[in-house]
Amino acid sequence: MDLEREGGRGANQLRPIDCSRNVLSRAHGSASCSHGETRVLAAVYGPKAGTKKNENPEKACIEVIWKPKSGQIGKPEKEFQMILKRTLQNICLLNVHPNTTTSIIVQVVHDDGSLLPCAIHAACAALIDAGIPLKYLAVSISCCLTESGKILLDPNKLEEQKMKAFVCLAFPSSVHSVLTEGSINGIITSLTHGVMAGYTFLTLILDEYFQCVEQGRAAITPLSNILKKKLQSQSAE
Amino acid sequence: MEPKPSTTPSSFTDQQVFPGDVVLDLSKMANQTIKLGGGLRQDGDVISVMKAGKLRFSKPNKYWVESSNKRYVPSAGDNVLGIVVDAKADNFLVDIKGPTLAFLPVLAFEGGTRRNIPKFEMGTLLYVRVVKANTGMNPELSCMDASGKAAEYGPLKEGFMFESSTGLSRTLLSSPTCPVLETLGKKLAFEIAVGLNGRVWVNAASPSIVVLVANTIMKTESLSPVQQKIKVESLMQRMR
Repeated sequence: MDLEREGGRGANQLRPIDCSRNVLSRAHGSASCSHGETRVLAAVYGPKAGTKKNENPEKACIEVIWKPKSGQIGKPEKEFQMILKRTLQNICLLNVHPNTTTSIIVQVVHDDGSLLPCAIHAACAALIDAGIPLKYLAVSISCCLTESGKILLDPNKLEEQKMKAFVCLAFPSSVHSVLTEGSINGIITSLTHGVMAGYTFLTLILDEYFQCVEQGRAAITPLSNILKKKLQSQSAE
Repeated sequence: MEPKPSTTPSSFTDQQVFPGDVVLDLSKMANQTIKLGGGLRQDGDVISVMKAGKLRFSKPNKYWVESSNKRYVPSAGDNVLGIVVDAKADNFLVDIKGPTLAFLPVLAFEGGTRRNIPKFEMGTLLYVRVVKANTGMNPELSCMDASGKAAEYGPLKEGFMFESSTGLSRTLLSSPTCPVLETLGKKLAFEIAVGLNGRVWVNAASPSIVVLVANTIMKTESLSPVQQKIKVESLMQRMR
């Protein structure tokens, strides 16, 4: 049973991504990112002197504030804050400016599925705009699993609600390098929701989660190139 | 990732680089000393990029990433505009738009002794020189140049200060003189102090000249030299 996606998208096809830097005049760094209809705005302030009470003063501290489109800040927002904080702590170089705090404020403008990847891209672009030292950029992708076991990348809100399982992954982005071999491997963040099966069919071991990871990894390079192109065209002076 | 053909570092110079890009392989360059400026770090055997910007190289061996931000990374030898935040027994605490506050020793003035310590109020604008800037420590400032003379450093009275990006400050301080300042200077008389931390101070005889100079500089930040000249001429026409 083949699933027809809205707008005739293929299973591996992503929605159009748009990213712009320096959208807010008062923030030290800001960016706006959109995946199709989903839009997120991120602002970065810092680095500023002083860390919070329980944080290590030998490293920089990252603070994330997540603002939903409407309503008060509740448990889902706190969860997003924690996920984003851990992801960004992985990509930032924390020992360049010890004993400082960098605040990242993420504002959801519209949520049409794939919210966390959009937020990660917006936060990364805002960190680049602010000049915070980073190890590498993060690209993020969300995939969902249909009842029939088919994997769809970059679902929108309707598709997310119909699916039996949902995975959001963040990878280090592809880089330009003078080295001939060696690339950054690994997953920065993985967030799963729902039930995924692992089963053996004849001699093949088909683990749905790992399939999602493979499909997501295949999309890293084109996604990195799109993001870099968008960010580059504005910073050129 | 498919392996790319090995490229020489010269192909990366003057190009836009992003964090994580590897620009130099040290294992291939033995017995060479390389100086790294801002935006680059050593990661084992390779040099990789920390900030997005254009990679620059100056002979014989200095590499750095040039980018324009709203915040400033203190480095020794820079002339910056600072604002006094607090006065302690030994230092003034000065805000220079960096990650931490900077210290200006109370005796770092020409002919400064314990008896004639200057009295700066909170909010005083100072033109100072960065003496030391190490990671993890507060930068140290001075109101004297390297030989101990006052040399234009000190508080800036009257005038108008505005903030912009570090890229604009570098453009204004470039030699030969940047086209905006040259065109403005032909017709108007004004005083200007540019801090490498993105702060600019302008003073002139009448407020309208100050406003004109400040607005012109802010508006022509992202234009090419030819466009800048045209824009400045048109703004000055309006004033006449």
